[in-house]
Amino acid sequence: MCSDFHRAESGTELLARLEGRSSLKEIEPHLFADEESPVHGDILEFHGPEGTGKTEMLYHLTARCILPKSEGGLEVEVVFIDTDYHFDMLRLVTVLEHRLSQSSEEIIKRCLGRLFLVYCSSSTQLLLTLCSLEAMLCSHPSVCLLILDSLSAFYWIDRINGGESVNLQESTLKKCSQLLEKLVNEYRLVLFATTQSIMQKTSHPEEGPSCAFNRLSDVDVDYRPYLCKAWQQVVKHRILFSKQNDSKAGNQFSLVSRHLKSNNLKKHFFTIGESGVEFC
Amino acid sequence: MGVLRAGLCPGLTQDMVQILRSRGIKTVVDLVSADLEEVAQKCGLSYKALVALRRVLLAQFSAFPFNGADLYEELKTSTAILSTGVGSLDKLLDAGLYTGEVTEIAGAPGSGKTQVCLCVAANVAHGLQQNVLYIDSNGGLTASRILQLLQARTPDEEEQAGALQRIQVVRAFDIFQMLDVLQDLRGAVSQQVRSSSGTLKVVVVDSVAAVVAPLLGGQQREGLALMMQLARELKTLARDLSVAVLPTGCQETVDLGSWGTPAFQGDHKGHWEQSPVFPGDHT
Repeated sequence: MCSDFHRAESGTELLARLEGRSSLKEIEPHLFADEESPVHGDILEFHGPEGTGKTEMLYHLTARCILPKSEGGLEVEVVFIDTDYHFDMLRLVTVLEHRLSQSSEEIIKRCLGRLFLVYCSSSTQLLLTLCSLEAMLCSHPSVCLLILDSLSAFYWIDRINGGESVNLQESTLKKCSQLLEKLVNEYRLVLFATTQSIMQKTSHPEEGPSCAFNRLSDVDVDYRPYLCKAWQQVVKHRILFSKQNDSKAGNQFSLVSRHLKSNNLKKHFFTIGESGVEFC
Repeated sequence: MGVLRAGLCPGLTQDMVQILRSRGIKTVVDLVSADLEEVAQKCGLSYKALVALRRVLLAQFSAFPFNGADLYEELKTSTAILSTGVGSLDKLLDAGLYTGEVTEIAGAPGSGKTQVCLCVAANVAHGLQQNVLYIDSNGGLTASRILQLLQARTPDEEEQAGALQRIQVVRAFDIFQMLDVLQDLRGAVSQQVRSSSGTLKVVVVDSVAAVVAPLLGGQQREGLALMMQLARELKTLARDLSVAVLPTGCQETVDLGSWGTPAFQGDHKGHWEQSPVFPGDHT
């Protein structure tokens, strides 16, 4: 009887979980190395140093989701968790205005009505917020996309708060990762999370001891994992961003998308203009 | 937020706290992530009471989701654009400094960062008649220089005096003093200590590098955590009080040479800067 009690959910919860989550397949084909992505339950990590276009890409994806179907959007709702106080509403509005054929305050407000913003000030608050997000997801069955910008914002503060034990330092983030995986699987969402590259490239050619970074054949950015193992395990896709310094166009960026299970790699270039990300 | 104690939320009595603590549940996070059925069985507390407690704690401590449209409306009414007093700088910044945002002025030593800050302070105090809080951490501010800038704008001594009164100067020579100053500022604003001469619109922090640089380097993590904390304070201050925050920083990357060591703050500034302005860039 106890195990039944666990799994019982109300009719509305069941419907909210299974029905009404539209497919995000068309969201941005350039981002995915695999043909079938993204599917429900995918977790994608945007990784790269600052100034490489990760947050702009998030605005691009958000705009794509919240625009009405008549303007080329998907008309679904998005939950944007901002841990850095980084979210620039005015920038998002500019991107939307450029993408609408006729932009008016009404349409912009209706689009923004599909966006939910959550600001978190610490990793414990992030954890508690993810716990209470379940109720919100039940009441908003058209939320399909969860964005977390960024997951690495509390890294240094957590390391200090955890004292000397690495487990303690990583425990909150580990719980967050597990909770994110559970939410994304149960409610059939797609999660985009950004992480900053905060570890420096080594200047000498030999690798350091016991490092577990992935070697990507023709990619400039080395990936240095520093977040907890639990997070590394839930990520299905990793997309590495970098800025092209040597190209003729001043603000060209590149991303390398890698599906971790199948090991497919794809590289794309894009620029960032007034209307947001434009793939080349 | 953190440790469970009696009175933290309605329904949490001292007895419950003791029982939970004896089972290893000491913090809010422990309770929220525990299996409540198991806890109810082990502790002898009612499952319903625990579920209700969990709901109340989550409602109290988790962040509340805002609707994008509401936020946009609020932003439209509360954001002000402050001219810096330098025409070409205004053009670079898309009309000026935005309240609610952090605009960093970065550059090598001697490139003019303090002068830009003084100019902004003078312009906001005199031209826009609003208050400025100038946090000085490296002794670069002299009242006589601000007076010079004001004298160039107006010959009227009363106006100059009025503008000078709107610039409040605080000195903070280490990071803890600076965090204290920011905390006091919040306290003053929350108690609605209003001066008759206008509201606070700009907080200049000259310079952040001076208080953060001594903490960085080597394998110490505390310095980075403190820097991230200061960054967070400045960002939340800008947003909560609707002021434009103007920190200055040093733009130099020091290669510390070993794997896994974080790069100097020149790279970390990116975590918080929203629109860096390099003094050499404009003509």
